[in-house]
Amino acid sequence: MLEWAGGATGEKKQHAEVFTRMPFSANDLRYHVEESYPALCTYLQHRAQRYLGQLSFDAFEVDQVVGHVIEYLARIQLLGGGKQSPQTALDELSNAQFYTFLNRMVQNKAIDRLRRRRLPMSTTGELEDQRSPDEDNDPLNAVVEPFWGDIPFANPEEAVLEAVSQEQLRIILKHCIESLSAAPRQLQAVIQELEELGASELVREVRADLPPDLEQTPLAHLSQHKDHAHKKLRLCLQKNSTNLAVMIAIRLTEYGTQFSRTGSVSVPLQTLTQDDLSLREVQTGLQHLAHAGLLDWHGEEVVIVTLAQQKGLTRFYEDE
Amino acid sequence: MSEQFVGTPDPQGQYTPLAQWLYGLLAHGPKEAPTEQVAVGEDVSLPGKDYHAGFYPQLPNFVMALLRQTPGVTTRYAPLFFHLLGCPICHRAYLETYDALRIALADDARPTTTALRLSASASLATTSPKLLVFLCQLLLGQARAILQQAHRDHTDEDAWARELLQQAMQISRYLMQGTLRQRALRDLVEVASLAQRSEIDGPSAQATLSYSALVGAGSSTRGRGVLRRADMMSRSNEQASIDLRSDSLEGNVTQEGELLILRLVDLDATLRGKFLLISVPLGTLLEPVRWLGGNPYAIRSAGPVGADGTLVTPLGSTELSLSKPEDRNLIETLFKKLDISPLEP
Repeated sequence: MLEWAGGATGEKKQHAEVFTRMPFSANDLRYHVEESYPALCTYLQHRAQRYLGQLSFDAFEVDQVVGHVIEYLARIQLLGGGKQSPQTALDELSNAQFYTFLNRMVQNKAIDRLRRRRLPMSTTGELEDQRSPDEDNDPLNAVVEPFWGDIPFANPEEAVLEAVSQEQLRIILKHCIESLSAAPRQLQAVIQELEELGASELVREVRADLPPDLEQTPLAHLSQHKDHAHKKLRLCLQKNSTNLAVMIAIRLTEYGTQFSRTGSVSVPLQTLTQDDLSLREVQTGLQHLAHAGLLDWHGEEVVIVTLAQQKGLTRFYEDE
Repeated sequence: MSEQFVGTPDPQGQYTPLAQWLYGLLAHGPKEAPTEQVAVGEDVSLPGKDYHAGFYPQLPNFVMALLRQTPGVTTRYAPLFFHLLGCPICHRAYLETYDALRIALADDARPTTTALRLSASASLATTSPKLLVFLCQLLLGQARAILQQAHRDHTDEDAWARELLQQAMQISRYLMQGTLRQRALRDLVEVASLAQRSEIDGPSAQATLSYSALVGAGSSTRGRGVLRRADMMSRSNEQASIDLRSDSLEGNVTQEGELLILRLVDLDATLRGKFLLISVPLGTLLEPVRWLGGNPYAIRSAGPVGADGTLVTPLGSTELSLSKPEDRNLIETLFKKLDISPLEP
């Protein structure tokens, strides 16, 4: 819908710009970046000037705010992402929600810039005065300082506590520690560390799944082994296939249909996806388990798990 | 017990030592100190180690799942979750995303009555050149990051990267200043070569001579003079050729009708009398040019190099016109690199 910003007279029309309502959407930024980028820049500049208060005429500061949001949109692979990049939650937003999102990003960055320059942030009242009358109903106008405190995992300490107190995340941690068994000294170094800090429960669980002779090797150069082990653990914890393998192992033992004669269970891939995993993710998890020797799966649509494999899978994720 | 863990969801402190250990482990990985934001106008085509292409794009979905209280969200996004523990940059982006998305979703029920006062006539031609350079660099940087990630994951994302490169090229044609265009596409050839690694009939690495289009600053005094003038003139119609240079050798690309003609002079005596194989490494990135023989990596010269060291040969045809500034910029980008080698040794 096009609107004239000027009045009805011919003279005003002559100088008036043509304005449009919601000139771009998340979809436009993804698929038609050439056409929608100019409008995105204009919108962000407009908002940045509004929130920058005393810095609103500082071109560098406006650019910093605008650039931050543009960079964010590129880094999450929305801007110019086309059909190649995975859809994000931002693609699902309505236009109004998407604008609110962008507006808030601008607002937060502007506050950040003002803080850096130690300038007072505009009060809502001041902003009202600068605004044109038709923006009075804008629900986005209130300047609220971002308060990360009420966001879950606002600080890493909170997040890490979640990571160790949630059973399934602890299973992943345990699995990653156990995967160090290919390098026994590194595993020993980690077990020793865990013992020293009193994580006896986890140590017991790890030991229960390992061959008894594993800890017979004498340990020299402890810190070196520890460093290598930590690096491997970091990689393992952040690896998608590790996480998926644990999830799939659990599902394989929960959702299977049992053959009464052999004790084997069959699980179609579709069952493993549930509502939250893609087929590709299920396949990645299965590949990981097959690679670890816990399954005999070569891409079949239905996974058959023998009785012995079921025990292995249960041990793989068991946390008791 | 550390003070920092007080007030968190482990009232008995059962997991606190383990949490501290895990935090130490994750946070002491390869350290990336949060850097100051790169100013718009400076080079962003080399995303630093602080951009994690495997994790950063997952942030909106992770946050949305948290806001919707999807069961098992931390398990579903466990790798990202563990990554956030040790990466202050991604963690900061997570906080920003959460805050903005929360407000956006909360706003759903309220009608938006604000008319956004944006000019409908806004186009790339009227957009700040600085922001165009910024976007081109971001797109190139993304292409590079995606290719590097694909290399680590043993996947093929060439098509995706090529799409990003094409977009950067298309957008850069609206930059009328050669120096800005040069800056916008500085890494284009290098990133394109990463995407071409897997092509069976990709550009040959054994070129006898490599020419490049003279965009922005030239290497010789003469070149600099010409280009400075060209920058100021903002590409007029009479400049209907693209100058090429390889050290002291020169050449150009002109247009006759739809045909693009390459002219090289003073070629070495060893090349005289021989047919040449011409490669335009960026040639596959733009469809509007129909290359002679169909493969821009292997265009056979129409005739041999003359006794005076001159070669004049058609390269292909296009509806783009060298006399139109934007088309010219696009064609010029294509010739950021042009390699030649003798067809027969």
